[in-house]
Amino acid sequence: MTSNNLIRIRNFVILAFIQVLIFSQIHLFGYATAHIYLIFLLKLPRFTSRNEQMLWAFLFGLVVDIFGNTPGINACAATAMAFARGYILESFTQKGVADDFVPGIHTINVAGYIMYATLCLLLFYSVLFLLELFTIHYPLTLLASIAASTLLTLLFTLVIECFTRKK
Amino acid sequence: MHTLLNFFIKHNHWFLFLLLEGIGVMLIVQFNNYQNAKMFTSANSVAGNLFAAITDVNSYFALKSENAQLLQYNKELNGQVTALKARLAQHHDSAMVATLPHKANGFFYNSATVVNNALNAVNNYITIDKGTADGVEAEMGVFCNEGVVGIIYTASEHYSVVIPLLNSKSSISCRVKGSDSFCTLQWDGCDTRYSYLVDLPRYTKFEIGDTVVTSGFSSIFPADIPVGIIERTEDSDDGMFAQARVELFTNFATLRKVYIVGNEGRKEQWELENSISKE
Repeated sequence: MTSNNLIRIRNFVILAFIQVLIFSQIHLFGYATAHIYLIFLLKLPRFTSRNEQMLWAFLFGLVVDIFGNTPGINACAATAMAFARGYILESFTQKGVADDFVPGIHTINVAGYIMYATLCLLLFYSVLFLLELFTIHYPLTLLASIAASTLLTLLFTLVIECFTRKK
Repeated sequence: MHTLLNFFIKHNHWFLFLLLEGIGVMLIVQFNNYQNAKMFTSANSVAGNLFAAITDVNSYFALKSENAQLLQYNKELNGQVTALKARLAQHHDSAMVATLPHKANGFFYNSATVVNNALNAVNNYITIDKGTADGVEAEMGVFCNEGVVGIIYTASEHYSVVIPLLNSKSSISCRVKGSDSFCTLQWDGCDTRYSYLVDLPRYTKFEIGDTVVTSGFSSIFPADIPVGIIERTEDSDDGMFAQARVELFTNFATLRKVYIVGNEGRKEQWELENSISKE
């Protein structure tokens, strides 16, 4: 359990560095920004308590916020995603499976994992961009930003998923 | 009572959820309202130092173009110095020189390096490596060789956060060169190369290609610092005013060296103006 937590903290630091120094600076076509730190939340084991998930999410969001000068925005969006993740994951788990597993293309099938990640990311970006714009003055910009960022992050999620071996 | 307690224990994640979201929303509101919310921005020393270290490394890659730019700027300044010297020589004997103020309008300057610069949000911020220890305060102007950058939002001891033109909260008093009426520059949150002049009186004469400069009314910037070139003109949504799309001179994507301008008389002007609105 302790080594598990140590690995988690290590992943946290590595992902936070990559996110803050590389991915937060990239802004494709004026719409899409990838938040790869969400992989950390997507890959938490199935039976991680919801409180623990939300605390991780809030902390991670806050770190990204502090470096990005957007206090509270990432923290709110990530917490909302961590809250809903359990429900989304259960709906893509096969009936009768009682194991504690890490969501991935090996544990739930490829289509299921893509759907699960897409729903989580859609929720995250909806909250994120709504908070950032605060009003819905530009509904088309908002929808384009949500769709483009979800797609981009999903792409990175799947690439990283393919390159990490199943333990 | 027991069932109520059970209910709270069973649904405790709901309360944690609401608590965390509450803290998040509080941070958002606080950052928008108070300038002393430094801890959770890159004006805090940990984030500032990290970005400063990264910028140190990154700046080596841009040294060549930076040198070229500085040389160009030096050349222009030299030209100006020569021209001004020639004019000074004309007036050398006249009494006019003696009456010129020592510091023009009380503006003073300082230079700084950009340590963090993200352009991907509707409200962008830039962090620079000068703070209150170097005499930087909130609401000082920031510009670079090409043109205006923005206004200092908050300053810690060694770092400051700038609200650049590319922030929906930024509004800077401007003037179209050649006309006397002034107007406001505001960003729409879309393209980082363009900003908009809004609330131009309809009788203002301006054309595509006209240069936009600072008006000097706000006492944050001295007058006539270049801002951009008018690229398109149109009516405002309600048809009451004209507005114009301005191509900005400042290239925010490659911004490194900036200058900070303060005004000794600003506080006095500000207090004077405030005392009227209070009455």
